Amino acid sequence: MTGTDDETITRRPTVVLSAATIAAVLAAVLAIGAGADSALAFGLLGAVCLAAGVVRGLPTALDVGAVVLFIGVVVGGLEQTAVEPTVIGTIATVIAWDLGHSAVDLGEQLGRESRTARLEAVQIVSSLLVGLLSGTVGYAVYVVAGGGQPVAAAVLLLLAAVLITIGLGTQRGRSANWSGS
Amino acid sequence: MNTRRVAVLLGTAAFLVAIAVVAGVVEIAVTRPTIVVIGLVALVVALSALSRGHGVRTRFGTPDPERRGSVPVPGRSLSGTVDEFRAVTAGHTASSRRLRSGLRGAAVAVLTRFEGDSVEDATRRIENGTWTDDRVAAAFLSDSVEPPARSLRTRLAAVVTPAGNTPFQSGIRHAVAAIVAVGDDGERTEIDRQSLPEYDPEPDDLRGGFSRPGPTANAQSRTRTTTTAVDGIEAHRRRLTEHWTGIGAVALLAVGIGAVADSPAIVLAGVVGVGYAGFARAFDPPELELSLDRTLSDDDPEPGDEIDVTVTLTNESGSFVPDLRFVDGVPADMAVTEGSSRLGTALRPGESVTLEYTVTARRGTHAFDPAIAIARDLSRSVEREFLVDTETTVVCEPSLQPLATDVPIRSATTSFAGRVQTADGGSGTTIHSVREYRKSDPLSRIDWNRHAKTGDLATLEFHEERTARVVVLVDARLATYCAPDPDATHAVDRSVDAAGRIGTALLATGETVGLAALGPVARDGGREESSDAEQCWLPPASGRHHELQFRNLLATHPQFSTLPPSSACQWRRQLRSLRRRLSDDSQIILLTPLSDSVGGDIARRLEARGHPVTVISPDPTADRTAGQQLARVARNVRRTDLQRAGIPVIDWPDDESLDTAIARHAGVRR
Repeated sequence: MTGTDDETITRRPTVVLSAATIAAVLAAVLAIGAGADSALAFGLLGAVCLAAGVVRGLPTALDVGAVVLFIGVVVGGLEQTAVEPTVIGTIATVIAWDLGHSAVDLGEQLGRESRTARLEAVQIVSSLLVGLLSGTVGYAVYVVAGGGQPVAAAVLLLLAAVLITIGLGTQRGRSANWSGS
Repeated sequence: MNTRRVAVLLGTAAFLVAIAVVAGVVEIAVTRPTIVVIGLVALVVALSALSRGHGVRTRFGTPDPERRGSVPVPGRSLSGTVDEFRAVTAGHTASSRRLRSGLRGAAVAVLTRFEGDSVEDATRRIENGTWTDDRVAAAFLSDSVEPPARSLRTRLAAVVTPAGNTPFQSGIRHAVAAIVAVGDDGERTEIDRQSLPEYDPEPDDLRGGFSRPGPTANAQSRTRTTTTAVDGIEAHRRRLTEHWTGIGAVALLAVGIGAVADSPAIVLAGVVGVGYAGFARAFDPPELELSLDRTLSDDDPEPGDEIDVTVTLTNESGSFVPDLRFVDGVPADMAVTEGSSRLGTALRPGESVTLEYTVTARRGTHAFDPAIAIARDLSRSVEREFLVDTETTVVCEPSLQPLATDVPIRSATTSFAGRVQTADGGSGTTIHSVREYRKSDPLSRIDWNRHAKTGDLATLEFHEERTARVVVLVDARLATYCAPDPDATHAVDRSVDAAGRIGTALLATGETVGLAALGPVARDGGREESSDAEQCWLPPASGRHHELQFRNLLATHPQFSTLPPSSACQWRRQLRSLRRRLSDDSQIILLTPLSDSVGGDIARRLEARGHPVTVISPDPTADRTAGQQLARVARNVRRTDLQRAGIPVIDWPDDESLDTAIARHAGVRR
């Protein structure tokens, strides 16, 4: 699978997605950097791990790096009152994790030499849009709710978030039907 | 499934009520502890989801169709090569120690061939160790010779780098080097450590069994997209990629932490995660209606030409294809030399995209395999593999450049006039002898000078010149698909190329030439019940039409395929049917690498039937490892045996042209 002895195909993460991943990692670190030092330490550690993962094509490093980076975002969010850096940091972290894995996948399947720019562009834009959209909706509700009845609205929103997440949940059930074929 | 739907519905309802609360339509009193409880529930759910572990990320692997299939190097497996030696040295009994006894057999073989010993002499010399100067080698093959004491340095080296340095392995290396030294026809050189062959472990696929060297199924399938026939586009596999695995749990975790810690920022971070989790589930598995069009810059190239391949993909469906990964099915025996035969793209409805790359043409008929198209939905959660086929075939006929030297045929001829000089006297151009005049001799052959001098009548005899009837026979059995390095031109390719050049040269001088082959007819793992019917056979003839047929057969007949066959064939049956077809006065030019004992067998059997055989043998052996060196010695032994049996063998080294090899052979004979 790794294909280190391949002569014609370099099965390594594709260039555009790798660059996008690194950019997202930097954005996340900048967002965290607005907060406390301890958060920044986590952030930097996660960033290094993520970057190494996407450069060397290591999925596990990507997962670990993303989790550490997210811990940095959460720690930063707990220590400050402003909401925006946390939201941006989260979006950037998820994008970095998503695009990093996409880069590894695409590199394994098509190799680095292939023309993949258009596919990569679609992935970057879709990932970014989803993050911005959900972030904006959440933020809008927060801003509106911030003035009026915060407690009840916040609780209901929380409940909604929990229930929807459970409902959408993991895709284990579907995967069972699809194995084989 | 139902609980999930209920959860989503309740969640949506809660969201709507929340909006209503915010808008001031409804008023609900909730206390802070409730929030904490909800947060704790979220935490518990998230942690339990995490503790269950997440799905394993998967993707469809892709093969490497842009690479050429590789062929084995002779002597890939030491034990296999040693086994071959048993066949060479008839009468040698096998003992329980297979490798050692095989090597002993090899030593006997070279000593009897190259040092003129009888089998008994050779066995005795091996037993008392006088056959070589190398004490390690002598002790390794004999029970009565004491091995020399190993120096401290050697022992240390064996401890530090065990690979190839254990007493047994170093014994094998010394023994092989000593055997090679004997086999090198008297050029016995001092054996130092540097010149010892490498010891390489048995290849994994051969370990445990003594299977014959041949291309493995694994090596082949890696260079082909699929071996099954596909009509149009066909959905193949479908799978979840688990690309977003874990995002839901982490989102819930964040929501829980945020609720408990009373931090709106963290809750919002969780909300973003929930958004991505929804995105991951939002799309149906992709459908693909793709049309594929492949055009080649040259349908009828010469070997070595570069062909530009242009592939046009069109999205025939009415929907957007957000994620398409395409791998073209380049023929297994062709290699992409420029550009890439892979493409990652997105396609709007009706949109087309083109892919261009260059392949280098090689001799033979090459059909493109179906291309692989892997489509994912926008969120990359589901992956489907499709096979798309469009028939494209390249036929590349060998360039038949005649030989620069004379074709080394033997002096067996037909009764028709031609250009081959025979040993018989008669009419011709070169003086053969002078004999007494007989009544019916033609006037033009009378030696008038002698008559003027002495008055006697004498008749000049010339070397008769007749045509030869030659059948070029290519040995294309599974075992002959080998090369000195896995990606080099293999022996069958070289043989077929040589067959083309020899045929052209002979036809140009007016000989009658036929073509035949021994080897598997079926490719792609098919059975060969009716192989006799399809076996290549072109009866000897001459003329322009015949030449075209000859050339066409070399390019298109499956027996000459550059792609190694998947199974061995019944060469004995093929040889029998060939012998039935051969006319008595045919002579054979046999092209075989002599990579196993069968090549020599074929030559001997044909010779025994009265067909003069000339063997031209492209050398596929290498000399890096012990097994490879031993394979080379085995081939030398076979070659020598054939030559001693009166069959001329032209050895054709890998780095030499056929002309050079033939010219050198002619020089030696003269």
